[in-house]
Amino acid sequence: MRRYLKSATVYLLLSAGGLTMLVPFAWLILSSIKPLPEVMRYPPTFIPEQPTLDNFRQVFKTVPFGRYYLNSVIVSVPTTLVTVLTCTMAGFGFAKYRFAGRSVLFWVILSTMMIPYPATIVPLYVMAHRAGLVDSYAGLIVVHLSSAFGIFMMRQFLSTLPDEMMDAARIDGASEARILVQIVLPHAKPAMAALSLFTFTGYWNAYIWPLIVVNSERLKTLPIAIPEFSGQYFSFQNLINAASLMAIAPVLLIFLLAQRYMVEGIAFTGSKG
Amino acid sequence: MQEASRILYRVQRQSAPYLFVAPAVIFYLIVTVIPMVMGFWMSLHRWNIIGRRQIWLGLGNYVALFHDPSFWRSLYNSLVYAAGVVPAELVGGLLVAVLLNSGLRLRTFYRLIYYLPVITPVAVAAVIWRWIYDPYYGIFTWAVRTVGLGPRDWLNDTRTAMTAVMIVAVWGGIGFRMVVFLAALQGIPSTFYEAARIDGADTWQLFRAITLPLLKPAVLFVLITSFISSLQVFPLINILTGGGPLDATRVVVYDIFDRAFGDMRFGAAAAMSFMLFAVIMIISLLQWRFLGRDVTYE
Repeated sequence: MRRYLKSATVYLLLSAGGLTMLVPFAWLILSSIKPLPEVMRYPPTFIPEQPTLDNFRQVFKTVPFGRYYLNSVIVSVPTTLVTVLTCTMAGFGFAKYRFAGRSVLFWVILSTMMIPYPATIVPLYVMAHRAGLVDSYAGLIVVHLSSAFGIFMMRQFLSTLPDEMMDAARIDGASEARILVQIVLPHAKPAMAALSLFTFTGYWNAYIWPLIVVNSERLKTLPIAIPEFSGQYFSFQNLINAASLMAIAPVLLIFLLAQRYMVEGIAFTGSKG
Repeated sequence: MQEASRILYRVQRQSAPYLFVAPAVIFYLIVTVIPMVMGFWMSLHRWNIIGRRQIWLGLGNYVALFHDPSFWRSLYNSLVYAAGVVPAELVGGLLVAVLLNSGLRLRTFYRLIYYLPVITPVAVAAVIWRWIYDPYYGIFTWAVRTVGLGPRDWLNDTRTAMTAVMIVAVWGGIGFRMVVFLAALQGIPSTFYEAARIDGADTWQLFRAITLPLLKPAVLFVLITSFISSLQVFPLINILTGGGPLDATRVVVYDIFDRAFGDMRFGAAAAMSFMLFAVIMIISLLQWRFLGRDVTYE
């Protein structure tokens, strides 16, 4: 009896908290299919009375939403591939070779995670300004080419790669580049998959640097465009909801499909401090 | 001929690790190390982005900050924010993790729910919450009115704005802390609990005597990282309140960006960034000193 009571309490507490976590999502999804008058009604309706998909079409007509979407894809998809590649290469180098400066370089890269971002982002803007990168795709992308977290993660993962495999390949006359392509990359696939999920999510959600480096409408990504749009068209809450839902959808879907890998990856690096 | 190919092999073998780490190292050099040094150099000048010649001030920017009420105000706001958010994230994350660890069937499902806010783009989350807080149509307003509290413009009221922002921050931050605690909880051998239970310990005693001491490294990790990220909050503030009303939510990073990109005083902004860096370092070290005495990470 006491046992049941206990587990009932646990479920009750977790559900109450979980409901709080879910309310904004549920509210967003339900409201995105309500027509404007219903969205603006008080007291609010929860289940849509006249569900419609028209909001999703209207967003594209009201603002260049397709453009924003494309920009978000441009600054997050190719850059994710580059990041995963540079992180895997560096992780491999740090894990499996001894060379002069190895620990210093690794330590420097790791310690960059502790620097508050304003200390680098303000001068980085000045540098980008001098290099003529402000308000361009190059300027948006330049900060998305590698990640300290990813290097750390790949190094940890590739430390488990058996040296014998590499030595055997060397005896057969393989170059180091060939070892990277034919042994390391296939071996690292699960870690690379997990890293690409994190990286994509991070880049898709990026807010601060795009806010600073981009001014023109044609370069805005979703996280910049949506708050602005919601400030200008605040009386069209139905459209804001539809736009928000479409902006969240990719990361939400990826997470629902692959949450095990992502959560375990975070736990893996988080628990190691 | 054979000698030549042997030398070639030696060269590629020895240069390979450098070539592998080079892209990442060059990236960090350009995007972090050089900006950091340059930022410090900027902080010693009256720095104008248009002019080529910058005026040397020495420590002038730093001295000016000490006499600047706006700086103290924003530092105070940041500390208030951290004092609210950090304990809530710590206790909340720990509570959820402990509950999830008690052998549930729906564990993965609950973990998913609590983690959803973490992967949501913070800019979009802020837009949703701004609507939740809407004084006329917001669901928060509706919920509060049903228990008899008056409607209020939560984000535009100096009495409630900061708390309203903190609620959103905790909502978005608990999931990450939960995952860290869950990983740490899984590292505790179940034999510890079994032995204590045989000795007649109840649930609360188990938590006090086994769970909490063994979670100390994770608690310290969450405490320090959560503090660091709280002191750097910006996107939520920028979208939810814009530092207002009447500077009630003007936090340090908002102040820095306002100086740099609002007033074009890049030197002053850089100096303030380094002050923030110092504050973060001092607080992290203090936490480490007083709480981490017997904590080791492998």
